[in-house]
Amino acid sequence: MALSPRRRGHVLFCLRGIAIAVLLAVLLGPIAWIFLTSIKPLSDVYTMTLFFDPTLENFRAIFERPFYVGDRLLNSLAISGFTVLIGVPVALAAAYSFSRFAMRFKKTLFFGVLATQFVPPIVVVLPFFLMFRQLHLLDTWTGMVWINLSIVLPFAIWMLKGFIDTIPVEMEEAAMTDGATRLRVIRDIVLPVTIPGVFVAGIFCFIFSWNDFLYALILTKKEAVTLPVVLSTFYTEEGDRWELMAATGTFILLPMFAISYFVQRHFVHGATQGSDR
Amino acid sequence: MRDRHLKYLLMMPALLLVTATVIYPLGYAGIISFMDWRLSRSRVPTDFVFLDNFWRAFFDDPSFLNSLGVTITFVAGSAGGAVLFGLLIALLLARRGRGYSIARTVLVLPFAMSPALQGTSFRFFLNPEFGIFDAVLDSLFPFLAHVDWLGSSGWAMTWLILTDMWHWGPFLSLMLIGGLLSIPSDTLEAARVDGASTWMSFWTVVLPQLMPVLAIAFVLKTIFSFKMFDYVYLLTGGGPGESTSTMTYYAFRMGFSAYDMGYASAIAFVLALLLVVVSAVYFRLLFPRGEAG
Repeated sequence: MALSPRRRGHVLFCLRGIAIAVLLAVLLGPIAWIFLTSIKPLSDVYTMTLFFDPTLENFRAIFERPFYVGDRLLNSLAISGFTVLIGVPVALAAAYSFSRFAMRFKKTLFFGVLATQFVPPIVVVLPFFLMFRQLHLLDTWTGMVWINLSIVLPFAIWMLKGFIDTIPVEMEEAAMTDGATRLRVIRDIVLPVTIPGVFVAGIFCFIFSWNDFLYALILTKKEAVTLPVVLSTFYTEEGDRWELMAATGTFILLPMFAISYFVQRHFVHGATQGSDR
Repeated sequence: MRDRHLKYLLMMPALLLVTATVIYPLGYAGIISFMDWRLSRSRVPTDFVFLDNFWRAFFDDPSFLNSLGVTITFVAGSAGGAVLFGLLIALLLARRGRGYSIARTVLVLPFAMSPALQGTSFRFFLNPEFGIFDAVLDSLFPFLAHVDWLGSSGWAMTWLILTDMWHWGPFLSLMLIGGLLSIPSDTLEAARVDGASTWMSFWTVVLPQLMPVLAIAFVLKTIFSFKMFDYVYLLTGGGPGESTSTMTYYAFRMGFSAYDMGYASAIAFVLALLLVVVSAVYFRLLFPRGEAG
């Protein structure tokens, strides 16, 4: 029996609502569960209970012997930070050049830069391990920043070029006919309007290098170990310390919320803009 | 300074860095793959063995052939799965309105989450004794209560794929939502006036319009699926047995457990070549007349 159109509309509306609720539960549930576990007392960690006395005991434990998560946190911050500080300006210069100048083989070069992202990290990490062993860069910040640039640079160039492409050229041309040099134009006209894009690219790059696991797993050992690698050290002889993983995980999650804020403003709005015609 | 010089000068640092971080190591790996180099025995390559490492992989090593099959299963499952999941999410959330745009913010979270953390925590969530996923699934599907999710090879692969879908599906849906919202509403209106049902207009109007974005999402996801390592290492450890040992993971084990640098490089190189072939085929299919430029 067919429902009247109106009833059918109601049913569809409810079904959609339920589906969205399930989806949000599936996406947010695991993240919330990690956070909850991190503040559970040990006696409740291996239960499903939602009622417990919150504690910071797990956080205290990870900062002490033998885990020293504080040092790892510093490593992660420094490596991701320096990667962004070096990667983004370098990418910005290249992106400007790709966006504004005509040159031979430009498309090939640009495509070549992007194509490096197709190279599986495992191919690159083997030679890096051997090279770093000779250069004494294993287990150092310098080595880790170097290899993280390989993840970050092509992406940042691509993203920033897209951003600069949307900025009209007319202002720059006007300033140049007034006698301003190219470098001044870049500093006084291009840079100020590019700042939001640089910021977004910077955050993406930070997260990519923050989340890197394979490179840090192979190229660090003791001194320069980063947060994601610490996770695997909680599979200990005496059993898996899930509550400590969750506490460390909570730190790993922090930058994620920063990105969601900016992406919501940049990406989601951008994605919906094209539709309002 | 003249633009003529400046344009190269601006590009130079980036190109040098890309060369130093990708192209040079790639060449180096190519050379090592022709060498016999066991790090446990020698600090330098011992012999030039030409294609021996590749020969060994294809004709003398069942574990390698297994990893090839595992990789193809994983790539097919996760690329197809993530794009379908993304499409489903996009169809649900591609609406105007404040509530919808808040819901869409959530979509970046799984993608921004560290895969290493995701792998470790999903491993706990699937634990048959105290895992939250296990508890929820057992109450929804009591007939699956006895399953040890990561202990049987079929389920381990399924969860490897599902874990990857959780990470990528929502992100791909952001691309698809952009595509969906840019379908002019009068096209849909016209279809409705002509008496098309929602289901019919999905197949005849929405899907064809969305095809280009879907195709790009699928290609991107295929490439990233080939590269996936973190979940295998932390979620399944390649097991049970070798049932989830992908080529990336197998190359890693040959390199950093067996310290056979030559053989590991050869496996990694086969993976890279496979990726080149697959992407070349895709691009040929997607952009038949060289539109990719």
